[in-house]
Amino acid sequence: MISLQTIAGGKRAVILFLALLIAALLLLPESRQEPLLALGRHMAVVAAVPLRAVEWVNHGLDTVWSRYLALQHVREENFTLRQDLARLQQENARLRETAVASTRLRDLLELKERLPYATIAAHVVGRDPSNWYRSVVINKGTKDGLAVDMGAVTPSGIIGRLVKVYDRFAIVLLLIDPNNAVAGLVQRTRDEGIVEGTEKGLARIKYLPLLSTVTVGDRVITSGLAGGFPRGLPIGTITKIERHEAELFLSAEIVPDSDFAKIEDVLVVTSPRESAQLPPMPFPMQPPTKRDAGETR
Amino acid sequence: MKLAAYAALVLLVIPIQIALLDRISVAGIRPDLALVVVCLIGLYRGEVEAVLVGLAMGFTQDLFSGAEHWGNLCLKPILGLIAGLASRNLVNLTWAFVLVLLLGLSLLSGSVMYLLKSLTGPGANFFLAAREVVLPQACYDAVFGLVALKLMRLWKPHRPPPTAFTYD
Repeated sequence: MISLQTIAGGKRAVILFLALLIAALLLLPESRQEPLLALGRHMAVVAAVPLRAVEWVNHGLDTVWSRYLALQHVREENFTLRQDLARLQQENARLRETAVASTRLRDLLELKERLPYATIAAHVVGRDPSNWYRSVVINKGTKDGLAVDMGAVTPSGIIGRLVKVYDRFAIVLLLIDPNNAVAGLVQRTRDEGIVEGTEKGLARIKYLPLLSTVTVGDRVITSGLAGGFPRGLPIGTITKIERHEAELFLSAEIVPDSDFAKIEDVLVVTSPRESAQLPPMPFPMQPPTKRDAGETR
Repeated sequence: MKLAAYAALVLLVIPIQIALLDRISVAGIRPDLALVVVCLIGLYRGEVEAVLVGLAMGFTQDLFSGAEHWGNLCLKPILGLIAGLASRNLVNLTWAFVLVLLLGLSLLSGSVMYLLKSLTGPGANFFLAAREVVLPQACYDAVFGLVALKLMRLWKPHRPPPTAFTYD
């Protein structure tokens, strides 16, 4: 029978033996440690398999944690960033709009200073309520000194004339409306005619002399002879000459300089003939070409 | 109260037509909100109210238009009258009926406007005008009217009792 004392004594002996063995191994010279190292290498190969498995699991746990479980902070950060992005986009749009408005108003101011006539700036507040007429509503009226038949211009050129004026607003019939008519002049040949709108949203100059040397590309300006426009304001460029037999006059299609779909601010010319002298041209003249020397087609 | 509501409606519809409807224009064509409103009033409230609202709305529309004539002032009450009379004998206001009615009234309005424009200004090609303005606007008005009707029904689902055989 083995007594507890015997077991305790046996244990003590085993521990003492192991301690001595470790001490002996530590004290072994390196040359004698080679068998141990060889055994250790084999052990390492075997131990590497579970080590890799554990490392793979550990890595997986890390991935799961970082990608899925620890996302609370990322989600909040993402939310904040999205808010910042939306705010910055709004701010950017506002700044762009301000820049565009600034450019537009600066152009209008430059035109106002350049024109030697009294003008009033107005803002476009609406379009014609029907699809049958091409007109815009501006926010100035008789209380601001406007009257029927005054001309409206933008830095690009003329846009139309006032057909109805009320206290606080007025209706501008656009140049491209067929009911509108403005006295025009081909800048190069000095031929006069009447500019009116067409159904296609363009303009046409009529009643040009049959022997006129007008060609495609010629610029058309206001003649200042009638209506509310002073002389020399740009209307557009001739793109097509219409010459029909048995007609006494030429007519030509014009692409207007102004973009009538994007009018936002206009200047209304309140007194086109204030000065007795012929005013200087507010827009640069077309440079003379060889055709001016009397060349005929 | 009703007068104030109609006055507010007139004062609201036309500015919306002028300032906002450009945003929903398709190929440069905008729906005629005033026409749709007058027709719906005719259908829902009868011809008398439609004629009166049509007069006010047509007048206001012409104030803001570049037209020299008062075409809308004449047309809108007539359209309201037709819509009101058409709804008299109806028991149920169906989508198809509203669609056809609005389409027809808008075609009528467009044709009359073309004639007025031709009489007061340089003549235009009718087929061009029909293709570019009259037909697209009629389709747009009809669809716009249906949407408006749907919204009205969401807000007030029940139509007033039918007035069939109740001619005064």
